[in-house]
Amino acid sequence: MDAGERLALQFDVEQFFYHEAALLDDREFRAWLDLVADDMHYWMPIRRTVTRDNLDQEFTKIGGMSYFDDDKDDLVMRVEKLEAGSAWSENPASRTRHFVSNVRILETYRDEIAVEAAFHLYRSRLNGKIDHWIGKRRDRLRRMEQGSQQEIQPGFQIFQRHIFLDQTIIRSTNLSNLF
Amino acid sequence: MLAGTNSQGGVIDGDRLSSLVDSERGTIDRRIYSDPDIYKLELERIFARAWNFMCHESQIPNTGDYFINFIGEDQVIVVRDNDGAVQVLLNTCRHRGNALCRAEQGNTKSFVCSYHGWNYGLDGRLLGIPGQKNFYRDQIDPAEWGLVKAAKVDDYKGFYFATLDPGAPDLHDFLGDVGRTGMEVLLAQGEVVAVDGVQKNIIDCNWKIAVDNLFDWYHVKISHRSAAKAGFLNPRMMMPMDQMVMLGEYGHAIGGPMISEAQQAEIDQLSDEERADIDLLSDAERAKLAPRINERRPVRKKATAEAMGPVGVRASGHPNIFPNLWISTRGMQVSLRLPRGPFETEVWWFTFMPKKFTPDQRRGAMKFISHSFGPAGLLEQDDGENWSQSTQSSRGVVSGRIPHNMQMGLGQDEVLEHPLGQKRIETRVNEHAQRWTYKCWAEWLRADDWDDLMAMRSPSPTGRI
Repeated sequence: MDAGERLALQFDVEQFFYHEAALLDDREFRAWLDLVADDMHYWMPIRRTVTRDNLDQEFTKIGGMSYFDDDKDDLVMRVEKLEAGSAWSENPASRTRHFVSNVRILETYRDEIAVEAAFHLYRSRLNGKIDHWIGKRRDRLRRMEQGSQQEIQPGFQIFQRHIFLDQTIIRSTNLSNLF
Repeated sequence: MLAGTNSQGGVIDGDRLSSLVDSERGTIDRRIYSDPDIYKLELERIFARAWNFMCHESQIPNTGDYFINFIGEDQVIVVRDNDGAVQVLLNTCRHRGNALCRAEQGNTKSFVCSYHGWNYGLDGRLLGIPGQKNFYRDQIDPAEWGLVKAAKVDDYKGFYFATLDPGAPDLHDFLGDVGRTGMEVLLAQGEVVAVDGVQKNIIDCNWKIAVDNLFDWYHVKISHRSAAKAGFLNPRMMMPMDQMVMLGEYGHAIGGPMISEAQQAEIDQLSDEERADIDLLSDAERAKLAPRINERRPVRKKATAEAMGPVGVRASGHPNIFPNLWISTRGMQVSLRLPRGPFETEVWWFTFMPKKFTPDQRRGAMKFISHSFGPAGLLEQDDGENWSQSTQSSRGVVSGRIPHNMQMGLGQDEVLEHPLGQKRIETRVNEHAQRWTYKCWAEWLRADDWDDLMAMRSPSPTGRI
């Protein structure tokens, strides 16, 4: 890949992430689901405070307990739940802002791209509750055929989102939002 | 009668404690969720006195494996020592109180204080004091300054508990029949092993609100409506009309759906293999067997049925081991509700898997479990804010004076006794277990010590309730 191609890919991936973040923050959850591939693995392991000797225990592994371990059907269920007026944790609706930065393309293979990015999810809830979740994501994106999405948006689908929080114990009432 | 002096010197008298919880009227004074003096008394008289759940043996299989837990706000290290025994040590250096262990779990050879280097063995013995000769001039006896240990440590079939009070009865007697029946729920499918990872989050609610909710089959249809709408919960299972409640001494209780005598009689005729086969059926196939065979999972095996007793085996609701250990109805998770001041609770979820589960069964169970509870759980997401708002409203001057209503089913049911001694209430959705929990809670707070508590505690109720 020459510098121009790398630049273009970097641009496309970043624009895709901003578009995705805007959908979530604008509560366009159905449209967000369109960006999720059928073979999605959406996962947030449990992180623990450990000594340097025991860093191998810092995160739970796949198959252990986690906060999220979802496939696409599970994410559809979460969206259906969010849309139900009776999802009390999100009714009244929260205000969120998804920030994505430090986007690094780690690997490309055919139409697939492995990306690591830092995120900051801010949630303002009711009148006085503020939550911040900061961490890194390891995403895998698949470039889609042209025209499969809105023309001005880069065409990707996410087929892996692994979310690594920088906090251990979750200091919020719930995790009722999408990362 | 003066019942308690809290550490700030305030006094809460027994009459006041009695008036806070009126189990005859079924009302609860909201100040029990907000009063800092009551909170301090809870730490002293409930948490520092009771047997508290620590961890499962499989979480610390090897010498030097440790797991940090709490008894109230006392932090403890649960560690496997060089002899293979489980030690429960207060996580505070005897010198200046620093936390010895600042990780949540791990493996170590000893615990070295990061402040001045006092070094303790896995059994809590003080092995070394820097400067023992030069600075202390040998005028200190390490044998006197080992870590403070829990007064008693014991396990129920691999589930470890500890108490800080030497006057406590042994674990078997503390649990009693109802507590032991509750623990057996975890073993319904044989021996278990812990799944790596304890989910932890903080909810700004009083710990008791988080505890009494586990008996609450009234809220499910409302609080968790969206989970049903999204297809996660089977709506028929959300508010089962047939309910059973078992009330045990010291406040242990089980409340929730009931397997009828006729349904249990059907199960009794099945071999363990046949019971296992039923558990493998899909929900739709399983529904075809109802009402002959109750739809709740899992079908308890013969050994578990025997251990739970003829009544306990039919109790399909949630057990709470007083004060704060919830055993989930599918029996593969437990939750601690750890107090963090009157207005904050840490909710911890431990997960276990039967050793003989196939990879498929394990995957299926993990899928259900990871989507039910924990902060992202499709059920639990919607609980936290209700508990939080219920607690926070106690802060208001006038709101704080209005009692909570806990009257559902009050005086309308009968305690039935099995010829072999187990007691239960067979009823519909109710608040018997919540009332019992708070009645016992007040007794714990009134008692001066374990002897006093054992003398004054209410026996498991009989007759009209």
